[in-house]
Amino acid sequence: MGDRPLAEDDLVAQAKLGDTRAYGALIQEHQTIAFRTAYLITSSAADAEDAVQEGAVKAHRALGRFRTGKPFRPWFLAIVANEARNRRRSAGRRERLALRAAEDPLSGGAVPSPEAAMLEAEQRAELLAAVEGLREEDRLAIACRYFLGLSEEETAAALAWRRGTVKSRTSRALDRLRERMEGGV
Amino acid sequence: MTELERALVRLGGEIAFPPTPDVLAAVGDRLEQAAPVRRRRPSRRALVVAFVALALGAGAAMAVPAARTAILEFFGLRGATVTRVDTLPPVETRPEAPVTAAAELELGSPVPVEDGVVRVRWPYLVVPGALGPPDEAYYSSLLPDGKVSLVYEPGPGVPRSRYTGVGILVTEFRGDLAPGYVDKLVAGGTAIERLRIGRHRAIWLEGGPHFVAFRTPDGGFGEDVGRLAGNTLLVELGRLLVRIEGELERDRAAEIARSLPEP
Repeated sequence: MGDRPLAEDDLVAQAKLGDTRAYGALIQEHQTIAFRTAYLITSSAADAEDAVQEGAVKAHRALGRFRTGKPFRPWFLAIVANEARNRRRSAGRRERLALRAAEDPLSGGAVPSPEAAMLEAEQRAELLAAVEGLREEDRLAIACRYFLGLSEEETAAALAWRRGTVKSRTSRALDRLRERMEGGV
Repeated sequence: MTELERALVRLGGEIAFPPTPDVLAAVGDRLEQAAPVRRRRPSRRALVVAFVALALGAGAAMAVPAARTAILEFFGLRGATVTRVDTLPPVETRPEAPVTAAAELELGSPVPVEDGVVRVRWPYLVVPGALGPPDEAYYSSLLPDGKVSLVYEPGPGVPRSRYTGVGILVTEFRGDLAPGYVDKLVAGGTAIERLRIGRHRAIWLEGGPHFVAFRTPDGGFGEDVGRLAGNTLLVELGRLLVRIEGELERDRAAEIARSLPEP
């Protein structure tokens, strides 16, 4: 039992008592998703890094107000995302988020034929371009929900939207993507 | 989950995000130095409030440094954020304060108000019926799609604000194009209340002075873009964010907001 990783509630409780190692374990658990969320918002790796660092420090200072028993991730994401928004350039100057498909995507099954692989690559590129062509709020909804796998609650926390707004914007974004993909993928 | 959604999830697994930095390596020292979690420091807050009061008494213009303190609560509207912090940022006095309220408040360029009509080519303008045409109006192109400010001079039932030097200041801009343009820092002594003005979301700030900072065009906070503010109502009116500031009671501010025409 001594080697069993502590549950999140236990880590939060210990962190609240001043155990920075417990807090560090919480941050390590969530730093990747927090960084990627910040990256989606800022379109800048450097700004996203700053946002996560500052968010981690501010979350630590505010930990006393965090209710034990609630999930830590949405709360942390909200703080980091707020930092990310603070660093984001104004809408008029903001560069488009440049997502790049990995050159060697994970393959879940048999090796496809060269023709099939090319077709899949084209479809991925087409879908990616369609997502990048969405208006910002639609793109963020899609990216948070599907690229990052955030729940509606987490997406709402990260983007400072109501949960119903997340639902409606995601639905609208999917409709627009279908239109852009001319009949779906 | 539809086929499109499945395709998006697959695509998400193939996105080459930048490598995640080691957050703890970067901030470990700051965590060790920081006070662990909730720690009320009323004496320090009292000092800050006293300092703020002294600065106000001197009539000095304020500037807010970008430095922030621990976040305790966060409220958001489209176009505005309200953050309760344990202490307000340090206050600096600016000895050479601009003479006019408009310049001091950085409202932009004056636009004429003729025959009770604000002559500005800004399609989103809403004038609160409860106040009528303003005494002065300003337009700023600082924001995407601009910002309009309506200034009402003090008069019966409208005292001069200690913070703006005018009676009532109404600011309007496209909240959907400028998320988080208005950033308010609130410490103890200021009550934050969520309201509904009809079907519109709103936040009411009342009590002690708070900081209001306006984002610069590059998205940051300049040294000279923050100031102290008094009672304020923030209303999310469709695409607009309307900010009403003055020595107002909550009900009066809500009445003014309700008299805004629907966009």
